[in-house]
Amino acid sequence: MASTKVPAGHFSILYFAAASTFTTKPNEHLPAPLEARNLFAQLEERYPGITEKVLNSCAVTVNLEYVDVDGEEAEHLDLVIKEGDEVAIIPPVSSG
Amino acid sequence: MASTLIIESLRQQIASCEVQLRDLQRQLAEAEHSHQQQLQERKHQSAQTGTDPLAYDFTHGIHDDFKSEVYAALLHTEDVQPPPNRWPLEKNEYRRYGRQLIVPVIGLQGQLLLKGASVLIVGVGGLGCPAAAYLVGAGVGTVGLVDGDTVEESNLHRQILHSTSRVGMTKVESAMVALHSLNPNVKLIPHHGRLSPETAISTVQSYDLVLDCTDTPASRYLISDTCVLLGKPLVSSSALRIDGQLMVLNNPPLPPGNTAGGPCYRCVFPKPPPPDSVLTCGDGGILGPVVGVMGVLQALEAIKVLTRFTGASTNGAASSDSPSLLIFSAYSNPMFRAMRLRARKPKCAACSAQATVTLEALSSGSLDYVQFCGTVAPVDALSANERISVENYAKIRLEANPFTGSEPSKDSHILVDVREKVQFDICSLEGSVNIPFSIVERTPGFSLKSSGNIDGSGEETDWVSELRKHSDKPVFVLCRRGNDSQITVKRMKELGLDNGGQRWIGDIKGGLQAWRISIDADFPEY
Repeated sequence: MASTKVPAGHFSILYFAAASTFTTKPNEHLPAPLEARNLFAQLEERYPGITEKVLNSCAVTVNLEYVDVDGEEAEHLDLVIKEGDEVAIIPPVSSG
Repeated sequence: MASTLIIESLRQQIASCEVQLRDLQRQLAEAEHSHQQQLQERKHQSAQTGTDPLAYDFTHGIHDDFKSEVYAALLHTEDVQPPPNRWPLEKNEYRRYGRQLIVPVIGLQGQLLLKGASVLIVGVGGLGCPAAAYLVGAGVGTVGLVDGDTVEESNLHRQILHSTSRVGMTKVESAMVALHSLNPNVKLIPHHGRLSPETAISTVQSYDLVLDCTDTPASRYLISDTCVLLGKPLVSSSALRIDGQLMVLNNPPLPPGNTAGGPCYRCVFPKPPPPDSVLTCGDGGILGPVVGVMGVLQALEAIKVLTRFTGASTNGAASSDSPSLLIFSAYSNPMFRAMRLRARKPKCAACSAQATVTLEALSSGSLDYVQFCGTVAPVDALSANERISVENYAKIRLEANPFTGSEPSKDSHILVDVREKVQFDICSLEGSVNIPFSIVERTPGFSLKSSGNIDGSGEETDWVSELRKHSDKPVFVLCRRGNDSQITVKRMKELGLDNGGQRWIGDIKGGLQAWRISIDADFPEY
């Protein structure tokens, strides 16, 4: 997926399931550094409506680690997403 | 019509009974064969015992007082068996499970743990079928099956326990036929009907571990809550299109508030997805091996949890203890990614010290899972004069060109089909143009005169300007079942495509499904 090298000054972001459908891409590179608290706003700017339709119910990981960035009291709001990091947006899939 | 249905139904019933009959015959043959083998073995044993020690006794003579006793004992040799508990597994079990018995992480102890275990599989579909097959194959002692659906033809490409001859049978019965013929040693318990808040506690209670193989957000929260409250580990998995997810939750299954317990479904996904974004396999599609992989992995995780006190400690594979969310993306490289999960969420509604989900709340029915996850109301966006029945639309198509049938609609009106391109390419009505609903949804809501599109991608505006060009022709909008078409009509009017009401824009009620039922029975159903 993010097999291509991340360009300097960027992090890579992976979109799974409904996130990929909404953005119409499996992954892309976004400018780093970025404070985790601004991640959703950044994505909303690029993809209007994505917060309500997708992000609010998503799990988010940074470098394969679950992070809590949703809400005022979220644990990882101060985390800084650095150059070369890998962020994943993981909506719940419920069908089977 | 009714009589053909009856005939078809009878045929199906006969076919499924024949399958059951063949299965029973096979079982009978197997039972007779093993009975025969036992007799042979006993004869062999008694022949051996008959040779030396007793003969020797006779030659030395027996005291008269003991004679009758000895004779009685001799008469009973046919029934004397090796002590019943000499070996912990049955003879056939050593053979059947031999290949996994010799795997160090299982061993005899692991096999005995599996034999003593009971697993509840909720949902016997794309996930539940492969999961059940492997767990029953592995010799889990008791397997419960929950499902309220019947087998449909469109299930068969992925739901591997069901078969063509069992279409129409309940999924639970169909799975039991297949599973029993796979391994008659396993006790199967049917639970007909969907799991509900009323039935969840009593259904789950007697099992050691639960597999969530269901297909709705509501059932995922219900099953997770139930497992937390009853202290059962939960293996939860899901799949759609070419993606899958897998988590082992509430593992270890410690009481709510105990932070050493494993996270639950609510810890990972505290908020359900918006109901209109939830896709079923019927709408979004599913590739068989994708859901198969996820179901097989569920069986694997279940085996690991059930046998964890054996081999796992000896080979140091302790990493499986930390909870993770495994993501499977069939067309990505790498296909698998394991995301490390956090411990229980400090304010989780189900498993934290502040939990609001309680046994009382659950069993009293005060937790409304359907409401929590929201429901999609049937789309009713348009007034009666913005809609047309398939019958009336068929007339319009014919009137446009009553004789040839070629290009019947092109001159009089525009027929827009808003299904996604992949579906449009499967089958479509002649003369229709495809404007996928996903593109309609993403079209920015600019006003009539706005020429500058926001993100400059030409694709979205193309369809709008194209429709604007032919402003004299009425527009009929159609989709698979008649929901997206209504929303599209609304959208088109918001974009001013109806010229302030001068041009008729409306949807064809019930979409292509209604078209097939009422107008053209040959139109493919997929």
